[in-house]
Amino acid sequence: MPRLAGLLFILASAVFSMAALSLALVPTLGRLPEPQITTEQNLAIVVSLSNPVENLSMAELRRIFLGERSHWPNGRRITLVMMEPGQPERAVVLRDICQMNETDFNNHFLHGVFTGEVLVSPKTLATPVGVRKFVFNVPGAIGYLRVSDLDSSVKAVRVDERGPEDKGYKLHVPPRSSK
Amino acid sequence: MKFPGPLPIRAMFARKLTGRMIVWRIFPLLLIILVNATILRSQQLIDAPAADKQTLQLLLQRIDQLEARVKQLEAAKQQAAPVSLPSATAQSSAPPVSEAEPQADNAVPERMDSSKTLLRMRGFGDITLHGDNQRHDTTSFSLGQLNLFITSDISEKFKFLSEIVFEGGPDNIFGETRGENNTFGVDVERMVVQYSHSDFFKLAVGRYHTAIGYYNTAYHHSTWFQTTTGRPFLFQFEDRGGILPVHTVGASASGLIPSGHLGLHYVAEVGNGRASRSPITEEPVQNVVDDQNHKAFNLALFARPDAVRGLQVGFSAYRDLLAPASLPRIGETIFAAHAVLVRPKFEWLNEILLVRHAPNGIPRVFNTPGFYTQLSKQFGSYRPYFRYQYVNASSTEPIFPDVGLRQGPSFGLRYDASETVAVKLQYDYTALRGQPAVNALALQVGFTF
Repeated sequence: MPRLAGLLFILASAVFSMAALSLALVPTLGRLPEPQITTEQNLAIVVSLSNPVENLSMAELRRIFLGERSHWPNGRRITLVMMEPGQPERAVVLRDICQMNETDFNNHFLHGVFTGEVLVSPKTLATPVGVRKFVFNVPGAIGYLRVSDLDSSVKAVRVDERGPEDKGYKLHVPPRSSK
Repeated sequence: MKFPGPLPIRAMFARKLTGRMIVWRIFPLLLIILVNATILRSQQLIDAPAADKQTLQLLLQRIDQLEARVKQLEAAKQQAAPVSLPSATAQSSAPPVSEAEPQADNAVPERMDSSKTLLRMRGFGDITLHGDNQRHDTTSFSLGQLNLFITSDISEKFKFLSEIVFEGGPDNIFGETRGENNTFGVDVERMVVQYSHSDFFKLAVGRYHTAIGYYNTAYHHSTWFQTTTGRPFLFQFEDRGGILPVHTVGASASGLIPSGHLGLHYVAEVGNGRASRSPITEEPVQNVVDDQNHKAFNLALFARPDAVRGLQVGFSAYRDLLAPASLPRIGETIFAAHAVLVRPKFEWLNEILLVRHAPNGIPRVFNTPGFYTQLSKQFGSYRPYFRYQYVNASSTEPIFPDVGLRQGPSFGLRYDASETVAVKLQYDYTALRGQPAVNALALQVGFTF
């Protein structure tokens, strides 16, 4: 009888704690913000000018953006640059390349670093200018920029043999919201 | 040297009073100064345009002087060091980099910046309320492992990783218990220096989790990462009654095998293996001294094909020679195969193992087969899961005679209360050979911080 009471106590505690937490905390869980598509711009994948890579497949991009590849063919370590959570560019990369939401992406890297498979977590930068400067300065860096934010200091790689100016390019980002 | 002694109370009171009087005398004076200053300030504002022009002229003159001085210093510096780096001119057209942004990380790749803190730390922990129908077991709140996970980028190619775990309760090594129920101990569960040459070759030395099967290297000492409240029995830690050499001290090479879309990987390990010389209950992992010169080897191959996202299929073979006291040497071979599909919202783990102990000079071989399958799917914050596990060791097994037959299902529900806290409720039914089945219920809070 006391044993049964113990088990019932565990069950009751579980039901109570889960119910209380679910009522209180559900809205705080991270979800991928769906980019609103009106007039789109292409999102370029950018690397340093010194990086010999010209083209990447979507599968390769996915492996790189998930930290499953840590070195470029020339031996340099890959440094991943992400924009801050909430930015539409980041949302597009998570949705179209990583196929994850924000929470899953963070957990993936946390787990990867924990197992030792992922060498370095992504660097997070706030602005396109910051991304551009970082990619220019770090030879192994890879990031992403709207086509309108590109300049000659970084190199846009082709994705599945298509450049960001080509028809049929796969990565599109909605226009910046005017606040 | 003489120091003034403490002032008498009366003197202190007198001083305080004098101070108050001074404040009352000074106050009107301060008021006058303030009023005058305001008047003067307003006069200055009226004459501001003329003053501004004058100031501007002075400032411009000062800038000219400073620029001339900078030029003079630069010229002197160039005379002192006439050889300039070619990259400096190449980067002159570059956009300026703010101080907050990182500089070229590869410029001086192997130099350690001793001015920065190199350690990064993350913690994991869990607390469980559990009970079962076994005699002498009580329903209890239990502190689980408190895990301090520490990493450090020593240089571009080298990285340090460790798990320091504080853990309560006695150790259970092949059925033998050691330690007190409610005391805590500290274990360095992982301590690894990794060298990353390329994606095709990485080398780790230290104490690591042996690449036997999938679970052992996918989940380490954190219940928060795991869907369930604990590891499958097959992959239970050595000091919790587990049957595998989960930890090894040695070297591990791993990397990609060029195989295109197949995504083949290899792991090759050599280490001390598990302790086998009596008394075995001292420490199952040979951290400092191997009890023999023979080393344990493990080879694992697995594929992560591009075609099916999240799929990993592989096998491993582990070989060691155990030397228990009062027994002949025993050849230990462990074969493992796995097929897992892990996606953010779905998980299906399948692993099968065979632990083979072959004592020298005895024709009999002791085979211990085991498997588990685990399935879970996420619905919002909830993830119901199911696991069935089976292990069957002979009652005359020379290394772990206490294991016997254990099999049964587990059902549970994981609730992610936040991004870093998970609440899990799990029911386990375990059928045992020659003993009553065990029904257990556990409620666990696992978290990272």
